[in-house]
Amino acid sequence: MRLVGAELLEAREILPGQWLQTYHAPTLATGSRAGQFVHVRTGDLSGLVLRRPFSINTADLATGTITIHFRTVGRGTEWFTHLRPGDFVDMLGPLGRPFEVDSRSRHLLLIAGGLGMAGVRSLADEAIRAGRQVTLLFGAASARDVYPTSLLPDEVEYVVATDDGSLGHHGFVTELVPQYEGWADQAFACGPEPMLQALSRLAATRRARMGVANLGRRRGGGKGDVVGSPAARRKAFLQVSMEQGMGCAVGACLGCVVMATSGVPQRVCREGPVFASDEIDWEGTWGR
Amino acid sequence: MKARRHVVTGTAASGSTRREPTARKPRSASASVSMRPSGTPSRPAPAGPVNGAAAGLDASAPVDLSVDLGRGLVLPNPILVASGTFGYGVEYGDVVEVDRLGGICCKGTTLRARIGNPTPRVTETPGGMLNSIGLQNPGVDAVIAKYAATWEGWRVPVIVNVAGESVGDYVEVVRRLDGIPGIAGIELNISCPNVGRGGLQFAIDADAAAGVTAAVRRATDLPLLVKLSPNVADIRPIARAIEEAGADALSAVNTLSGIAVAGSRSKPLLGNIYGGLSGPAIKPVALRIVYEVSQVVGIPVIAIGGITDIDDVLDFLAVGAVAVQVGTAIFADPTLPVRLVTELEAACRSRGHASHRPLVGTALPKRASAPSSRGVEYRP
Repeated sequence: MRLVGAELLEAREILPGQWLQTYHAPTLATGSRAGQFVHVRTGDLSGLVLRRPFSINTADLATGTITIHFRTVGRGTEWFTHLRPGDFVDMLGPLGRPFEVDSRSRHLLLIAGGLGMAGVRSLADEAIRAGRQVTLLFGAASARDVYPTSLLPDEVEYVVATDDGSLGHHGFVTELVPQYEGWADQAFACGPEPMLQALSRLAATRRARMGVANLGRRRGGGKGDVVGSPAARRKAFLQVSMEQGMGCAVGACLGCVVMATSGVPQRVCREGPVFASDEIDWEGTWGR
Repeated sequence: MKARRHVVTGTAASGSTRREPTARKPRSASASVSMRPSGTPSRPAPAGPVNGAAAGLDASAPVDLSVDLGRGLVLPNPILVASGTFGYGVEYGDVVEVDRLGGICCKGTTLRARIGNPTPRVTETPGGMLNSIGLQNPGVDAVIAKYAATWEGWRVPVIVNVAGESVGDYVEVVRRLDGIPGIAGIELNISCPNVGRGGLQFAIDADAAAGVTAAVRRATDLPLLVKLSPNVADIRPIARAIEEAGADALSAVNTLSGIAVAGSRSKPLLGNIYGGLSGPAIKPVALRIVYEVSQVVGIPVIAIGGITDIDDVLDFLAVGAVAVQVGTAIFADPTLPVRLVTELEAACRSRGHASHRPLVGTALPKRASAPSSRGVEYRP
């Protein structure tokens, strides 16, 4: 984690109200892993006192750049859209813990809902560099919100679902999962909480539904792995990237917690944003 | 010993039981010169703008920023970080040089572990933020086990912020902290509901505030700060009661109570409904309270409330604070507190002061108002 001055190189409105910005930040590009995020300071627009967290959407080691992808939802994100190439912003990062891919996993299933694309996008790059196969399931409200194919690596199999049926599967992206969960060795998701909760239910019942016999070592139940440790997460079928309103983003303020099955609230900024799906208490009413 | 609780002014040897308001002291050349390390020759002023011909401090002259809070707690400088905004001091890692801070007030600590309030817990508001963390913490024993050894290795004093639901809770937490190396002092968060008395906050009642302060005072010889709540009609009788109960210093203020509404307009936004407002939005309120409190107590007042730059620090010193805590601004700029130390040093130097003490209390009424015996009148 360090504070860096990042220069904006390019900004594009890739979808209505959604922006993709490229920043020159070599230490973040080389020092971060898929799933981590940056906490970026806004200009002081009459009293915005908090930074804004953004997933590292992509990181390019060759050019020392990272991209962030966001939707304008308020004055803070609005401020970022007024930046011009050459402007500098103050970034704190890389923050949080990354996705943990098992070295034996050949087939990765990525599932993104809306802006959740930003959470899993760089894992696609990392996986392809490592010679893995990637299928990306993407859900959006309608065709106008679908992430452009041109911004994805050619190697990714890209499957789209829209709520109104204007493109791809007519329905929720979670309905596509059963077709791919047999193929996938591991799954990684980011998106609205109901989507993650539905995926978590699917993951919990996956082995039973698929009629897989429990032979040999079981994933996710390894002895000696502390819950939440990289080793334990690596064995989980589904990892989710969570979102929560954030204060400090380094674990000091305890503002961004989610309830865990252990009964102790976990910090999205520190223990997360990536969690094994069975670490999260999805059924509880706490904080919902 | 009341006399030991004075802010040491370097040359002061007053036997009075009240802090000498610095503003009323003539700034004599001899007083400033006497602050120099002996043997340092009075060099001609360099080219830079140097005020205060009497002092003639050059750019390399040492500025004494230390603050003596009594009972052996001497802060290296008056810039602290506020409880809840800096975790246990370790979270920011290499980004912040903690040893350059004047002090660290750690996250609120209770007797038993607490899971805190449901989410959402934080939201940004105009010029500030609301938080309702609900004192999530692993409990005093876990805090000691996990952090005390680290703190012991630091030069910066770590003041443990203590919260509780009953006087017994507070006393027990403080007992366990007493004598642990690495713990420099206690800051009591008394803005907690007193379960034994129908959930009334300790901080809004002079008797309850004094009661918990006195009980903790009996339990420890550690330096004791008590953090005042701004959510009261008149802070002065409460501040005086806490002083008389044996507090070594006051910190003012805690957050202002507030709420936000969810985007759907169907419910309040925060999981706990109520949150505490902090940030620049509360600075005028904090200034007013420090102004009021510093005139009626003799113990040091540490100001908290919306500090984002050196001018804010100087404002709080002017209304009588001897030190300040930076809180919410850390989230936007973690390096701010350390930078403020440097900037305060420069501010003293440019005014020809060998310490920041001449800056304390300059905006207070020139004639000491007699401490109110009733403290009931409220001037908005």
